[in-house]
Amino acid sequence: MATREAGKKMIMLKSPDGMEFEVEEAVAMESQTIRKMIEDDCADTAILIPNINSKILSRVIEYCNKHVPTTGATGAAASDTVAPAALAEDLKIWDAEFIKVNRATRFDLIQAASYLNIKGLLDLTSQTTIDTISDNSLEEIRSFLSTKNDYLPEEEQTIRRENQWAFQ
Amino acid sequence: MSCDEMSRRRRRRPRSPPPPPAPVPPLEDDNLLSEILLRLPPDPSSLPRASLVSKRWLGLVSDPGFCRRFRLHHRHNPPLIGFFEGFRFQPTMDPPNRVPDGHFSVRIDTGGMFRNFGSRHGLLLTFHGTGNQLLVWDPFNVAQHRVAVPPGFDEKKHFISGAVYRAAGDIQHFQVVLVSAETDELQHRQVIARVYSSETGAWGDRISTPCSSKLPTNMGFSLSVLVGHSLYWLFVDISTGRVDGIVEFDLEMQILAVKPMPVDIAKEKQGKFQLMRAEGGGLGIFFLLKFSAQLWKMETDSDGVASWVLGRTVELDKLLPLNLEEEENSEEEECSEEEDNEFPFPGIQGFAEYNNVVFLWTHIHNFTVQLESLQFKKVSRTHMLARYHPFESAYAAGTGIGGGHDGTKLLHNT
Repeated sequence: MATREAGKKMIMLKSPDGMEFEVEEAVAMESQTIRKMIEDDCADTAILIPNINSKILSRVIEYCNKHVPTTGATGAAASDTVAPAALAEDLKIWDAEFIKVNRATRFDLIQAASYLNIKGLLDLTSQTTIDTISDNSLEEIRSFLSTKNDYLPEEEQTIRRENQWAFQ
Repeated sequence: MSCDEMSRRRRRRPRSPPPPPAPVPPLEDDNLLSEILLRLPPDPSSLPRASLVSKRWLGLVSDPGFCRRFRLHHRHNPPLIGFFEGFRFQPTMDPPNRVPDGHFSVRIDTGGMFRNFGSRHGLLLTFHGTGNQLLVWDPFNVAQHRVAVPPGFDEKKHFISGAVYRAAGDIQHFQVVLVSAETDELQHRQVIARVYSSETGAWGDRISTPCSSKLPTNMGFSLSVLVGHSLYWLFVDISTGRVDGIVEFDLEMQILAVKPMPVDIAKEKQGKFQLMRAEGGGLGIFFLLKFSAQLWKMETDSDGVASWVLGRTVELDKLLPLNLEEEENSEEEECSEEEDNEFPFPGIQGFAEYNNVVFLWTHIHNFTVQLESLQFKKVSRTHMLARYHPFESAYAAGTGIGGGHDGTKLLHNT
């Protein structure tokens, strides 16, 4: 068993481009996909994370590191000593900085969060995407998301008529 | 394969999770795009608007599974879409989120006495007194369920009340809890409850808690309010109108308890009461005395003994535009202070528990007041004694061509 600090079990995560990341098991288990593997298995070697390159994987680990429930020297949860509201506020500010990335990186993070099943990261990345587009016009949304309008004009009119109130 | 065998195999090469689907950009993967679209605002215009982006988006947001997940995702931040008065729906939001009047209205195929027990988690619960049954209606899916009132609950002997809710994380099934009072052979009074589950189609065991011997013979209940994981009702002496206490039903523990009213206001017959969520969480009471609204908060000490603390007091005649002349002709300011006393006092017509919004009747308009921000808004005027059943839910109603809800489906037996 690889150990770095007493009582802290370490896990090796490998990206397809050959990078290896040694992380605490608790941090890796922020991913429900990895948690399930660890809980179901009885061996502990490196875990290959397919399709997530080292750049994205390192960001994901950075997120999990920040969000893992921390424990103090006595083993008591940090939230016992720091007010939960202050902790939540701190995380919110950190998240807002973390998600200041370009669109391609954000989409890669969505994909990684979904595959690794990290709810908080999926919430953050998806919500940021929705917030970016929700005040935009249809044309702006289509262009931002590279989506083509495939409605015939009369089809579009039918949808508008069905819920006319929603387009006032 | 044993663990040893698995270990031997793994020693040769690193473990890897099951292969993910071929990498496609998230917006081309339907599952991921759905995941993103779930985060659209819960307001009524969100999904109809999103459906205009492309046919693929229309397909995703009108999928029944997506609609259920959308409502579940926004369970704790539902918009106050409007309210039911009887079976008629009336909107409260501004365009483009103003769902038309009567959009959700239902036609009933039986006559008799109906009484709404309230709305929660996108469902409306109605008591059909004549048929001694409960109707649970999902306005989005035109789905209705009829459930017979179980033995032990007899409106002719003791008033009954009820509430509908869905368990945390569950969007397919619902529960109905009925409460009433009863007196045993020794003249001991107790509050009783039973819970129906749509999953099992059956009523659970009878739950009871004793209450003080001075409880009125003719006891009624207010509409329920969900605070945290408990439902609350005020119980009222029907003959005097006096509020005697609060019934608490813990949804997780499935236990009943009786809580006291604030001592200072319990005897106030002129007052009007509404249970609410207090600032910072916990149970609160909105207490209306003439034009004054007091906000009370229940505090529980380490021994579990509840007591009440008075928080803010809001002077409604200063907050709300209640001056008829000012309202109708702002250039003429003839109204004198003395006339205030001649106005009828405001009354409570309903309460939206997730939005913490109280519906108030006043002599000039009906208003909604958000109890934290004190932001108010005029709503459709009705008569003084009408009860409003606020409808709070993310709006996901089968958006799409031919998928609209016609709102006229008859209730039928299920």
